[in-house]
Amino acid sequence: MNKRLFALLSLLVVASMALAACGSAPAATEAPSAATEAPAAQAGGAPAACSDALGCAVFKPGDSITIGLGAPMTGDNAGFGIDADNAMKLAVKDAGDFQGWKFALISEDDGGTPEGGATVANKFVSNPSIVAVAGHLFSGATGAAVPIYEAAGIPMMSPSATNPALTQSGSKVFNRNAFTDATQGVYAAEFIYNTLKLTKIAVLHDGQAYGQGLAQVVNDEFVKLGGTVTTFQAINPGESDYSAVLADISAGKPQLVYFGGYVAEAVVLVNNFKQAGLAGVPFFSDDGVYGQDFLDRTGANGEGSYGTALIPPASAAKDKFDAAYLAAYGEPAGKLSPYSWNSYDAATVLIKAIESVAIKGDDGNLYVPRAALVAAVRATSGYEGVSGKVTCDATGECAASGPVFYVDHNGEWVLP
Amino acid sequence: MNKQIANGLRVGLTFGIVNIFLFLIKFPVIAGTIIKKIIPNFIVALFPINPDILDILIFIGLIGIWAGASGGRKLDEKSDNWLTSFVGGAAAGLVNALLIGALVFILGSLTDAHVKINAYLAAILPAVVKLFLLDQNTLNGSLTQFVFSFVAGALGGVLGFAFRGQWFASLKNKWNAAWASLTENPQIKKTFARPIARIALSALGIAFLLFIPQIAGKYWNYTIGTVGIYVLLGLGLNIVVGFAGLLDLGYVAFFAIGAYTVALLTAPNPHHLMWNFWTTLPIGVVLAAAAGILLGIPVLRMRGDYLAIVTLGFGEIIRILATSDLLTSFTGGPRGVTAIGQPTLFGKPFSSDTDFVYIIFIGIAIAIFITIQLRSSRIGRAWEAMREDETVAQAMGINTLSHKLMAFAIGAALAGLGGVLFASRNQFTGPEDHNLMVSINVLSVVIVGGMGSIPGVIAGAFALKGLPEILREVQDYRILIFGALLVAMMIWRPEGLWPTARRSMELHSADPEDPESGEAKTSEDKP
Amino acid sequence: MKETTLRAKSSKPLSAYRLIQALLGALFAAYLIWRFYNVFLDGTPSYGADSWLRFAISGVVLGSVYALIAIGYTLVYGILFMINFAHGDIMMLGAFSGYFVFEALEKIPSPVIDNPNQVFLNAHPVISVLLAFIVGATVAAVSGYFLEKIAYRPLRGAPRLVPLISAIGASIFLENAALLLFGSQRHDFANPVQITRGEGWNIPINGEVVILPYTGVLTIALSILILVALYVLVQRTQLGRAMRAVAENKSAAALMGINVNGIISRTFIISGALAGSAGVMWGIHLGLVYHMVGFIPGIKAFTAAVLGGIGNIPGAMLGGMFLGIIETMGPAYLGMSFQLKDVLAFSILVLILIFRPTGLLGEVLSEEKV
Repeated sequence: MNKRLFALLSLLVVASMALAACGSAPAATEAPSAATEAPAAQAGGAPAACSDALGCAVFKPGDSITIGLGAPMTGDNAGFGIDADNAMKLAVKDAGDFQGWKFALISEDDGGTPEGGATVANKFVSNPSIVAVAGHLFSGATGAAVPIYEAAGIPMMSPSATNPALTQSGSKVFNRNAFTDATQGVYAAEFIYNTLKLTKIAVLHDGQAYGQGLAQVVNDEFVKLGGTVTTFQAINPGESDYSAVLADISAGKPQLVYFGGYVAEAVVLVNNFKQAGLAGVPFFSDDGVYGQDFLDRTGANGEGSYGTALIPPASAAKDKFDAAYLAAYGEPAGKLSPYSWNSYDAATVLIKAIESVAIKGDDGNLYVPRAALVAAVRATSGYEGVSGKVTCDATGECAASGPVFYVDHNGEWVLP
Repeated sequence: MNKQIANGLRVGLTFGIVNIFLFLIKFPVIAGTIIKKIIPNFIVALFPINPDILDILIFIGLIGIWAGASGGRKLDEKSDNWLTSFVGGAAAGLVNALLIGALVFILGSLTDAHVKINAYLAAILPAVVKLFLLDQNTLNGSLTQFVFSFVAGALGGVLGFAFRGQWFASLKNKWNAAWASLTENPQIKKTFARPIARIALSALGIAFLLFIPQIAGKYWNYTIGTVGIYVLLGLGLNIVVGFAGLLDLGYVAFFAIGAYTVALLTAPNPHHLMWNFWTTLPIGVVLAAAAGILLGIPVLRMRGDYLAIVTLGFGEIIRILATSDLLTSFTGGPRGVTAIGQPTLFGKPFSSDTDFVYIIFIGIAIAIFITIQLRSSRIGRAWEAMREDETVAQAMGINTLSHKLMAFAIGAALAGLGGVLFASRNQFTGPEDHNLMVSINVLSVVIVGGMGSIPGVIAGAFALKGLPEILREVQDYRILIFGALLVAMMIWRPEGLWPTARRSMELHSADPEDPESGEAKTSEDKP
Repeated sequence: MKETTLRAKSSKPLSAYRLIQALLGALFAAYLIWRFYNVFLDGTPSYGADSWLRFAISGVVLGSVYALIAIGYTLVYGILFMINFAHGDIMMLGAFSGYFVFEALEKIPSPVIDNPNQVFLNAHPVISVLLAFIVGATVAAVSGYFLEKIAYRPLRGAPRLVPLISAIGASIFLENAALLLFGSQRHDFANPVQITRGEGWNIPINGEVVILPYTGVLTIALSILILVALYVLVQRTQLGRAMRAVAENKSAAALMGINVNGIISRTFIISGALAGSAGVMWGIHLGLVYHMVGFIPGIKAFTAAVLGGIGNIPGAMLGGMFLGIIETMGPAYLGMSFQLKDVLAFSILVLILIFRPTGLLGEVLSEEKV
């Protein structure tokens, strides 16, 4: 037993040594002259702004000022991460260089899960050259990551984490330029009741944080307005046949089916409508569904379906971005996920904020005061991005526009 | 000679097909980047070409040399010489190069014809094809690729012969001798055998373990913590699978019960009970164990694979219930539970990632203690007898059901402990933390490490949860590599990384030709 | 090992357990009767006949797909006693092959005077579908062969957990290889226009029209056809006899001059072809192909195989149908959310295994081995 214990102990030691040895490795190998934290009392060139507890990020000439992106890059939802990464790379490229320093983007896979979010956040805060995070994308991962960034003083700008609770906990670092589920749900219920003049709907969701929250809001709001919800049902995401649950819904004879969830399930649902006896009943869904994908893959079945978009109004900036995206990746913006424009703006807002607070020290290094940067991001006001005018309120809500409802007509999203 | 050529052609075909697959997933681009990190910078600087193309060439070159070396490998003792090696390598290189060249040519022509290949093959963007063509036009690019791979193959054949030559063998012998003289030296052995030396080294080791979290930094402490929790889970499942031989694919259910217990009792939402962490910890463990017993009573009578599918179902049931509308008001639904209570020590918070590493270490120590005590006890021997032959065990008067239940309950309790620590450390738990993949990962930890072996579980957890964090460069490919490694591991080292002595003996004494020998092996009693 | 005898021996001292079993059964039956009263007799019924018919159609079609996959599971399990975890992923490969066949045929023009833009796919739907099945089954069969050769054959004789982990590894590998090759987006099967998904015969009932989809009927017909063909193969042919002999006792079979490895290889080829056909069928009926398409159906199909009695080919068919119907009609009958259909399915599995430990139709296994 003694011998075993000994073997065990030595293994533990070796394993942790290996981990610890790697602990210092990334910073050292990835950027040989990596930026280092400037302690409050550092002599020589450090500006006064660095004297608070969070200090400054220091960039030697030739270093890159880095923005992090935590997003699902593998698995079912990889499309969201890849799209955000694509758009943000363009933002970094468009930012050009700032007084001789270049910007860079590091994307890490958080799988969209809370565990992954925390892992990536810990990795980012250990990298001194990361000053801001344009993410995370999913609400679950974001929720787990916020406290970690809060402690390190790294400002966030998420293009797509829409869980209302995220901005209600009083976080200083968390901002988002997407409208929340609560906003969207209320708008949608009002639109169905007041504009479409329908009183009997069925509400369906995909059992995930985003869709479930949204469906709940729509359900409550619709009942409050005086409508009837015939069925409130949930599906398991990732399946290929929902005809049974739709048959259940059709038994209640609703005038419309609201669905909170993502495009993958929405396509299956809409294609199952006819078989389930719901032919002619309009399908109404959220911004996780809006996109070219839905149109392409539902074809004639999708005619008359409603989608919610955060697609910005046409502008010169948007056209330019769309063209650049298409040229760089061979696919139009908004195809992989509806958050292309928000992603670009999220990264750009962060870059502008960095530029506004960065100070070139007397020693030729660039200093980015972290506390000032957190405040600068929150103070963003009137920035004209591709998604519209981005202005943040005191809680970190920076959505450029409210939800707009579109209807699928002849394979195109048009205003109803 | 003919045999050598045939061998070369066959090897070339295998390599070519694997290469086509790797090209289609864009692997050469990334692999080259990593290889280049190992090669000193000044050598890279000697080739003043586009670095992305250099990456590809390095990768293809190395694979080509490997193909050549195996194509020209020694088939029999007599006819192994420079010529046969060269011819075999060249044959392998030729086939490999033909396939690569053809693939690149096809991709290039399709791109020239403006076919959108990436609608079907996601990785093959026009820019990638351009890299594959080495920035030349389609014909020249594919010809260059062909010639390059062919030369690499022929070179590989010759190099292979050189390396298996005399001087290489003697080098290997010398190294082995040096290693043996160090490890087999009676003086050194004696020194290490002294209790004083052992205690001193152990103390040193413990001191070192206690010291590491102080220097490791936030991210690596977090990773060490995650690995530690998997060690804990692995030790628990090790009792169920490794000792008692019960295949449990729903182990995550008990992990979830522990996590949700601490979450619901300490978090402000959805119940606002706000209990103390240390009070909820034993509750979580006990509840998980109770769930283990409750599930165990009906299902433990089932045979191995039925048990597997039923436990798998149980894991899914727990996850679906946690996320369902039915229980949303109770469990927090798909959003999960946030702001979970964290441990305190003497009234001060004790919850940084560093602190948690210590807590998890203590948990592991307890689990190891329990495991060792159980293994050498009556119960442990009963488990072992049961695992080897249940009928005989029963005939010997062992109450198999109650022993199985005990294994199940202890395993579940450790999973519950892991769940409690996991939820509290992350300050979050939700249904997605408890999916089927967790069960499969923990099972893999146990098997890869070595069933029944405690150091094996630690090594397995480190290999499966720690290494992927270190290898983040290949993040798109790491799960693919993980899958391939699992298969390779089972083929070449089924006893695990750090097996118990007996198990490794069992697996290796078995005659691989005889399908029955592995199962029919009788076992001696263990001291 | 030798557990059947054990069970017989141990049944006596466990009379308390038997009592609980009976009690549970009675409770469950009472609940079902109460639900029956609630759903059909009490006041206004929750669902009309049209709804029930829709549930039934969905259930039977889904069940046939499960059955198709489950037969492959059962075949391999019956011979090697291992859970081929990668079976669902072989099905995924078959589905992708079928998808590519349809995509290619859609690009081949086949103009006629009435319709100058007609493509081959729509001009020759029967040939197209057959071609998709042939290619899908072939690709899957070849993959099955190599899967066995690379990942399982070296492990013959190892403890049973070893090939299981190898299978899990192979499954992870195949899923991620498909992810990296074909991307994460879901691809849509382009069916010939004659069997467009969602189109079918209209059945008027209860003042409503219920659609019996063409693709659904094709699925049911195919699975019955394959079941019969396979049953004949296993029971009546030389190969079938050899397979049963290998299942019974590998070393004895080898002594009788049977090439054990060859038979096992062939079993994997057959089960791969079945998975491939199931994949193409899946694509034609449900229309979606992506890298994880085989994962959930794989697990469900294994559940179905166990439900029916593993190793038992008609049992796999029955288990698949049973599972499909439970998933679609069960939640409606019991008045629960459809989100919980898997909870229901797995609970039924546990219940059935408690009452009938060898599945609905009983297992066809060699007792010695298991």
